[in-house]
Amino acid sequence: MIRHRFNIVAKQQPATVERVLRVVRHRGFILQSVNVSSSDKAQVEIELTVSGERPIETLQTQLDKLYDIAHLELISADTAAQAASIRA
Amino acid sequence: MTGAQLVLKVLQQHGIKHVFGYPGGAIMPIYDAFYDSDLKHFLCRHEQGAAFSAVGYARSTNGVGVCMATSGPGATNLVTGLADALLDSIPVVAITGQVFSSLMGTDAFQEVDVLGMSLAVTKHSFLVEDINDLAKILHEAFELAQSGRPGPVLVDIPKDIQIGQVDFEPYPIPTRVLPEFNLADVEAAKALIQQAKNPVAYIGGGVGMADAVDELNEFLQATQIPAVSTLKGLGTIAPDYPYYTGMIGMHGTKASNLAVQECDLLICIGARFDDRVTGKLDTFAPNAKVIHLDIDVAEFGKLRQPDVAIKGDFKQLIPALKTKVDITPWQAKISALNVEHAWRYDAPGEGVFAPALLNELSQRLPTNHVVSCDVGQHQMWVAQHMSFTSPYNHLSSGGAGTMGFGLPVAIGAQIARPNTTSVVVTGDGSFMMNIQELGTIKRFNLPIKIVLLDNQRLGMVKQWQELFFEERYSETNLSDNPDFVALARAFDLTAKTIHSKFEVSDAITQMLETDGPYLLHVVIDDKENVWPLVAPGKANHEMIEG
Repeated sequence: MIRHRFNIVAKQQPATVERVLRVVRHRGFILQSVNVSSSDKAQVEIELTVSGERPIETLQTQLDKLYDIAHLELISADTAAQAASIRA
Repeated sequence: MTGAQLVLKVLQQHGIKHVFGYPGGAIMPIYDAFYDSDLKHFLCRHEQGAAFSAVGYARSTNGVGVCMATSGPGATNLVTGLADALLDSIPVVAITGQVFSSLMGTDAFQEVDVLGMSLAVTKHSFLVEDINDLAKILHEAFELAQSGRPGPVLVDIPKDIQIGQVDFEPYPIPTRVLPEFNLADVEAAKALIQQAKNPVAYIGGGVGMADAVDELNEFLQATQIPAVSTLKGLGTIAPDYPYYTGMIGMHGTKASNLAVQECDLLICIGARFDDRVTGKLDTFAPNAKVIHLDIDVAEFGKLRQPDVAIKGDFKQLIPALKTKVDITPWQAKISALNVEHAWRYDAPGEGVFAPALLNELSQRLPTNHVVSCDVGQHQMWVAQHMSFTSPYNHLSSGGAGTMGFGLPVAIGAQIARPNTTSVVVTGDGSFMMNIQELGTIKRFNLPIKIVLLDNQRLGMVKQWQELFFEERYSETNLSDNPDFVALARAFDLTAKTIHSKFEVSDAITQMLETDGPYLLHVVIDDKENVWPLVAPGKANHEMIEG
């Protein structure tokens, strides 16, 4: 299972976070962690780690289409094997 | 003015003249505003009917449709229409009333979390929290519904926002900025086209939605590349184009499916490799390189990896792809496939052969017509045996496959195009799904012609039970259908039943010559199936025929 991390900056709107999480699930990825913070009233930052077998581009392009998302960055893609070797 | 009055003003700013809906408690201020407005509201008899009439309005004009409903059950009843619009990329703006802001979250009467419910069935949705945002949100809703890949947008408006006071300001509709495409990608695509010996253009609904039907046909005329269509693309390719082989996919023509399986280059324009098109995906067009053109980059590589993918507006992009090809042997093969696999209408017996009836109806309809259909066997027969000169004249639920689509969609189309002959082809299963809209037809005396193909079965499910479930006909027998002619007459519509193929011609004449609405109830044999068919899990070249 490959893990991927997104940094998202989005408009602070009703259901913004729900929208992001729904797309993650619906497009076949598992949510590993999510951190939501809001530095001002208009904006929300979402750090998202997901895992899945499908190409991450299929999720990236779907998230990118969400109207509330102002900026989307795919930070890293490490494999479970690499993660295991780091732990070892 | 009130927020409710502002809503109607903004709709008018966007050129909306007709709205489909159903009133209720939480949207009463907006309905009160209709009372003094020039905006014409069409009362449907169920909110799903309103949503689908908005879909029909949008699809038949390549414009935007608007529907309205109250909170709670009113809004939930819109959901199927919105999901249908999402899967077929139809620009619809849905406006729902919501309970007072102060009551939201208290399980108030007719309160449903409509914003939460909308997430899976809309392109985007808004909850208006401040009356000063109302106009801006409505403008954004119209822009979003129509820009990029179109889709449904919902705006949920609490009652206190509707009755609050707000200033109305003029709003200049912004000019839409079209995406620019990469010229190097265009050159790469042209190189693939020039090298191809057996190219096929695979045309989807996106071409019509981009208003690029003429550009597409000019491209085909210039290159003479063979072309196939998806269900939603039907009407885009000129029917007399010599290398057009018809619909592709599960119930596509044998010529189209064989051509695509053999092609060495697939030029996908505004289509999305849907499973009903590809059959078993890894066997689809196995030897082909792929050029994929779309407005939505999320479609690139979603199911089939393209060799060249270009995002762009088709009105500019398609002409840029014109190039010279030398494919004479391939064109000859395509012509031979068209001859070899031409449809036949010489069915034995005296019963009505539905494909023959639809073929005759298609030939006899005036040029200015629009056909909507429901979902099932009759839908595939419409796609196979009727001919369309515009994608806005063939309204069929593609992605969602929603039974109950046809009747309310025809209502929307008839209202959008009052001088057009609007025909519904439906089945006895689908017809009952939004039968209440006969009341809407009567209320507005819409001259819609309904052709009901009645095999007393849920025919497509029954066909699959016959072929793939050992003839175990679970819950598909509808021999206890109502008397449809009596039902139509209860709504004060003219209706007639035919049983024999010798009655077809006169019945079509009578239907088309009747001024008002008309139901032609056609009894057909329940053993008649849709052919050819690609069985589930099979490759498209393994089509079976009855």
